[in-house]
Amino acid sequence: MASSAHTRPLSDVEIRVKALESLLLEKGLIDQAAVDALIDTYEHKVGPRNGARVVARAWVDPAYKQRLLTDGTTAIAELGYSGIQGEDMVVVENTPEVHNVLVCTLCSCYPWPTLGLPPVWYKSAPYRSRVVSDPRGVLREFGTELAPETEVRVWDSTSEVRFMVLPERPAGTEGMSEEALAALVTRDAMIGVTKLKA
Amino acid sequence: MNGVHDLGGMDGMGPIVVEENEPVFHAEWERRVFGMFLPIFACGYFNIDELRHAIEKMGAPAYLNTSYYEHWLHAYETLLVEKGAITAQELAARRAEIAQGAA
Amino acid sequence: MAINAQQALGAALAGSSARVDVDIAPRFKVGDRIRTRNINPRGHTRMPRYLHDRVGVVERDYGVFSFPDTHAHGLGESPQHVYSVKFSAKDVWGREGGERDFIVVDVWDDYMDPAP
Repeated sequence: MASSAHTRPLSDVEIRVKALESLLLEKGLIDQAAVDALIDTYEHKVGPRNGARVVARAWVDPAYKQRLLTDGTTAIAELGYSGIQGEDMVVVENTPEVHNVLVCTLCSCYPWPTLGLPPVWYKSAPYRSRVVSDPRGVLREFGTELAPETEVRVWDSTSEVRFMVLPERPAGTEGMSEEALAALVTRDAMIGVTKLKA
Repeated sequence: MNGVHDLGGMDGMGPIVVEENEPVFHAEWERRVFGMFLPIFACGYFNIDELRHAIEKMGAPAYLNTSYYEHWLHAYETLLVEKGAITAQELAARRAEIAQGAA
Repeated sequence: MAINAQQALGAALAGSSARVDVDIAPRFKVGDRIRTRNINPRGHTRMPRYLHDRVGVVERDYGVFSFPDTHAHGLGESPQHVYSVKFSAKDVWGREGGERDFIVVDVWDDYMDPAP
């Protein structure tokens, strides 16, 4: 039997995308190889592993951490991460006293160079609507219970500044290598909806 | 504008649904829409604020019922026609050709 | 006309900051109390509705950026300072706001006035 992928009718959105792309290619406005290269880069090379390396470095190198919290853009670029949707980076530190969590209520702004492209839930109406008005309730749904005395700061990305959370280093990780520490760091902890465990 | 995109503090949007091990893209058309972003931008027809506004103007039902990359696609189509890079007629004609060819 | 793959990856890596390189005096300084304006433009804005007419405190001055409300409509960059402003959830949501919850939002000069 022929592959069903070839016989399935195209959906409306697939037709729209093919129509637009083919017109733009034909007019010489876009280049196929450029489109392919960008897809490959953001699907396979840019992602939360970048941010995890930044976090691990900050945990093991106090001077780096200081630079990261003072000038996020430059400190992140030291590790080779930069570019669109990360031109102006601010890194906020989670501590036992203060818990930071990120959102973009107006669209879906997200720090691409360090976290990659955002997950669907981050872009969704339920998260964007509720995390500003009921942050503790939303965090609880992610399994994150905060002490009542902990201060919560919800960062709403309304401008072109992009944020990233520096999560708390889990207890019991003393003596671990930077690489092993990076492997503990998750995307959700760098958005601020979860805490990390060793 | 006081559009539905301005979601902060609204109730009744439903539960937050988290997909475990979510892939970066869910379909090939999402890849193409993402990949066209920078090349289209580089043509200089519009800026990021115009792109966001084109999405905001798509209408509340469409905004809530379509995905992120459909929002982008809507913005590309609208702005590229508005700015004269392509015409609505040639876009419609090309869609019809593709639909027939794929039928 | 179309950018090639190398140019595309170069552009992705270089980014394109919305900062505007002009020397404009800030209207506010860190520590200032501000009140956001109750503005309801029919066009584009980055002032969320939930922050209309709310009092906050300026925590950082990010520098000078283009202004989305004009830039989205072919009316120029109207460069101005953007600040990180901290709002208490009690002020924003009233009775339903959490006692120890805060919202930190980026606010342009034209979205706010000094508050007593």
